Amino acid sequence: MTVRLAEGPSGSPARQRPGPARTGPTPTRGRSKRDRPNVLAGMGVALWLVIVALPLYALLIATVQRAENYTSSGPFTPPTDPTLGNYWRAIENGLLGFVLNTAIVTAAVVAIVVALASMTGFAIVRSRTRWTTGVFRVFLLGLAIPSQAVIVPVYLIIVQLGLYDTLTAIVLPTAAFALPVCVLILVGSMRDISEELYEAMALDGAGSVRTFLQLVVPMSRSGLSTIAVYAALQAWNGFLFPLILTQSPDKRLITMGLFEFQGQYRIDIPGLLAAVVLSTVPLFLVYLFARRSLVQGMMGVGGK
Amino acid sequence: MTSGTSSPVTGGAARSGPATGGTGTGGAGVGAPAGGPRGRSARATGPRTGRPSAVWAVPGLLYFGIFAALPMVLVAYLSLTSWGGLGSPEFIGLQNWTRLVNDPLMHRAIWLSLLLTVLTWAVQTPISLLLGVWAAGPQRNRAVLSALFFLPLLLSSAAIAIIWRALLDPNFGPLAWLGPVLGLPTVNLLGGSNSAFLVIVFVSSWQFIPLHMLLYQGGARQIPASLYQAAEIDGAGRLRAFWHITLPQLRHTITTSSVLMVVGALTYFETVLILTNGGPGTDTTIVPFLMYRAGFRSWELGYASAVAFTLVVVATLVALLLVRFTGFGSMRSTKEGL
Amino acid sequence: MRTPRLSSLAGAAALCLLATTACSGGEGGGGGADDRMHVWMYQDSLVVVQEGAVDRFNEASETEAVIDQVPGDNYEERLRTAMGSSEQPDVFFNWGAGSIEPYVEQDMLHPLDDLLAEDPELAEAFIPSILESGKVDGVQYGIPLRGTQPVMIFYNNAVFEDVGVEPPETWEDILDLIDAFTEEDVIPFALAGGDPWTEQMWLQYLVDRIGGPEVFARIHGGDSEGWRDPAVLEAAEMVQDLVDRGAFGDAYASVKYTEGGASTLLSEGRAAMHLMGSWEYSTHLDQAREFAENDLGYVEFPAIPGGTGDPANVVGNPTNYFSVTAESEHVEAALEFLKYTSQEEYVADMVENGEVPTTANAEEAVADSPNPEFAVFQYEMVRDAPHFQLSWDQALPPNVATPMVTEIESLFNGQITPEQFVDALAAL
Repeated sequence: MTVRLAEGPSGSPARQRPGPARTGPTPTRGRSKRDRPNVLAGMGVALWLVIVALPLYALLIATVQRAENYTSSGPFTPPTDPTLGNYWRAIENGLLGFVLNTAIVTAAVVAIVVALASMTGFAIVRSRTRWTTGVFRVFLLGLAIPSQAVIVPVYLIIVQLGLYDTLTAIVLPTAAFALPVCVLILVGSMRDISEELYEAMALDGAGSVRTFLQLVVPMSRSGLSTIAVYAALQAWNGFLFPLILTQSPDKRLITMGLFEFQGQYRIDIPGLLAAVVLSTVPLFLVYLFARRSLVQGMMGVGGK
Repeated sequence: MTSGTSSPVTGGAARSGPATGGTGTGGAGVGAPAGGPRGRSARATGPRTGRPSAVWAVPGLLYFGIFAALPMVLVAYLSLTSWGGLGSPEFIGLQNWTRLVNDPLMHRAIWLSLLLTVLTWAVQTPISLLLGVWAAGPQRNRAVLSALFFLPLLLSSAAIAIIWRALLDPNFGPLAWLGPVLGLPTVNLLGGSNSAFLVIVFVSSWQFIPLHMLLYQGGARQIPASLYQAAEIDGAGRLRAFWHITLPQLRHTITTSSVLMVVGALTYFETVLILTNGGPGTDTTIVPFLMYRAGFRSWELGYASAVAFTLVVVATLVALLLVRFTGFGSMRSTKEGL
Repeated sequence: MRTPRLSSLAGAAALCLLATTACSGGEGGGGGADDRMHVWMYQDSLVVVQEGAVDRFNEASETEAVIDQVPGDNYEERLRTAMGSSEQPDVFFNWGAGSIEPYVEQDMLHPLDDLLAEDPELAEAFIPSILESGKVDGVQYGIPLRGTQPVMIFYNNAVFEDVGVEPPETWEDILDLIDAFTEEDVIPFALAGGDPWTEQMWLQYLVDRIGGPEVFARIHGGDSEGWRDPAVLEAAEMVQDLVDRGAFGDAYASVKYTEGGASTLLSEGRAAMHLMGSWEYSTHLDQAREFAENDLGYVEFPAIPGGTGDPANVVGNPTNYFSVTAESEHVEAALEFLKYTSQEEYVADMVENGEVPTTANAEEAVADSPNPEFAVFQYEMVRDAPHFQLSWDQALPPNVATPMVTEIESLFNGQITPEQFVDALAAL
């Protein structure tokens, strides 16, 4: 695997800071005390490796185990006759449909969040009226509203709108609760666009729409990809909204599908775990092919 | 649309300001762009500099209002009603609140939630900080291992809870197999009062340490190497460099990560539902789970709303405190003040 | 001055529109309500019977029926959230009387008296006392859809033979067996403590055997002081004693029934006995056929020395019912569908899956059961029972039942004493 995790300060092209290109606690040149192998750290990391990898290893082993052997054979020895039957069973149980539903919801949430957060961020950063400060404060406070806490009224609102048991019912509140964090991240990113660029746009006679589309959006690409990652993860992992706001099998998202497989599979633990593994495949593919933006997106969520 | 009426008003107010020149000062003061002569003058040159009117914020605000802020108001109202999910809520005054104040289950849930918050913070912060700083090093093996450590982040809470339920199964799970090997006769982790709670702490840490490790990795990468070089010239060892350079430099990351951890722990739900279902007994019934139980199992949605409102107040207070003490809200760059 | 603001407004509107279309465009895969008739079923291995009925119904009817299987773990939560919305099921599975009362109070169910009056054959198809439990305030709202489900002690014959003991007939036997099995490192009784309704079965039988059905009748009537009946305390003390003797092993609190944990313990011979509803037989038939056919035994819950309850009393679910929602677009079709539950094929399907139907002709029908012996045993057990007590958590309203099962769980886990248990329940 070619792994190059986030090099440079934050990889944002917009902030042209002369920051050190490659920094870190360990200087690379010279022989010093700091170059001695750090035994303590090594041991700690090895321990953590065991804690992370062993459960995942047991998980993978279980998924290729035949269901009838699962309870009898040891969990850490690879089966002598591995099978992919568990995966097929999971697919037969409709897992792909759940993945599709989740993908639809995720795409819609990302679209809404990116559109609304970028506009709101633009107004907060550039508009000079008193009440954009208020808007900013509202979103700041919104950070603290746990989505769990409003599930009862959200249920009421969704029922009143006649949206119960639709994918829209999941999309609307999920996007709303992703907004505050995304607005704050974008504000941070948009602030870094230099005033000179705005002036150049203005000299060009650009109005606010053109400024937004030709300057603000391109220049806050990294911020936008961060919020897209954040919103997508929120939608992908959402649990309570789908649990309360939908019920029928054809509206099931991955998380719900897994939760319900749990009751459905009964003693078929390998089948259940295979479904768990399959449910992570889409994100895993993203991780393989767009690792850098995913990692930077996650760093960006808290790193600003 | 309401924007049609509000926009001329604000626009008019802005136009009445002194129209002196000046092209604004860039984004530096966004945390508090509170009007002021400079702000107004900038507004006056608005059209020419392509400044957006505040209308741009309306869709986002409206949307957030309907699906996040309005529910908040509704929660407050519903907490004053009796409602079983069918028919209409019936106003009953403060009954839910007097019940809540005297409910031993609620007291316990608050205690458990606070305990969970403190424990997850205390477990996650040192581990993710050390791992993050370690991973920020340029060595190739560190990058490879970090990529591995990242994996739990790809799993949803539901998936993680299911995995750990299977792993901890007392009769058929790997731990049941490992138990005798390690000399433990039975593994009843999910069924024991304290052990079930500790399992929740452990599983949430297993799930979220990778995220916080990433945050710290990002933070540590931004520490200028010059600081370490200077320390080295002074003859400072690894430990002292960590203590006197790394930790202080990471203070913003620490607060950011802590805010995320605290708010996360206060709203922890899926893992409890799937892993322990609030049990054994009520030993893992934290506030969000209590709300779910009261609302969607006992069908006392009014009482559940009172619990929910308490949760919101606590979360808001905690977040406000943290924001106040840390300046998280002003979104200052971590590099400021260097 | 005007143009720019207009343009920004337009821009805002355009983006807003974009967001909405993106959302509604994405909705395509979801779809709204269809015009099929939705039949909600509790998900388990017996649903095949209802699936057969739906297939036959769809061949004959213009309305297309479809079964929505709802996972058992949160069936009632799902049902009630859906009932509160416009996406109600047309026909749904329930536990009769108490479990549908909230919906009847809101006039959400379609009364079935006319259906039975028009079709006396249907009315006479079921055992009268069973049909009775589908009534609320004297009005029929539920039609029986399942076999009767008494709770009994299942045991693993092979394990009994290995240890060289006989199935229990008295309470003394049970206590002796617990000692015998613990010595052999076999869990005497499998118990899914993660699902406290399975623990409730124990308490329910103990209270009934000690004090008779009157004890719970009083509580059910709304008198929470009824929990202070000495029979409840004695039953709770017996539970504590069973736990202390190791009757359930020591890891039962982590076992869930819905994951099959307890049933697997029995079929794999790691536990000797399992107190469970009669559906346990179908579960094993589905999951461990060889065991179900060769080694699965069953006995009634024994009498308790000194108890005043009739040892022939039964607890469990008399049966389950189908109800029709009043606002359904398919009321006519739904009523037609209900008639399928008394048809010959339906009854035959039930019998084939090990159920004992609640139809009046069940006695002859059970002769065709894959295990006639078990079917007859069940049938006679129910027929001869002076009283058939519905599961407490189904009989009581949810705001009492939810904390009650939690207290039961705490009692079994040794987190509260029997005295504390009684106090907690009386305070509900």
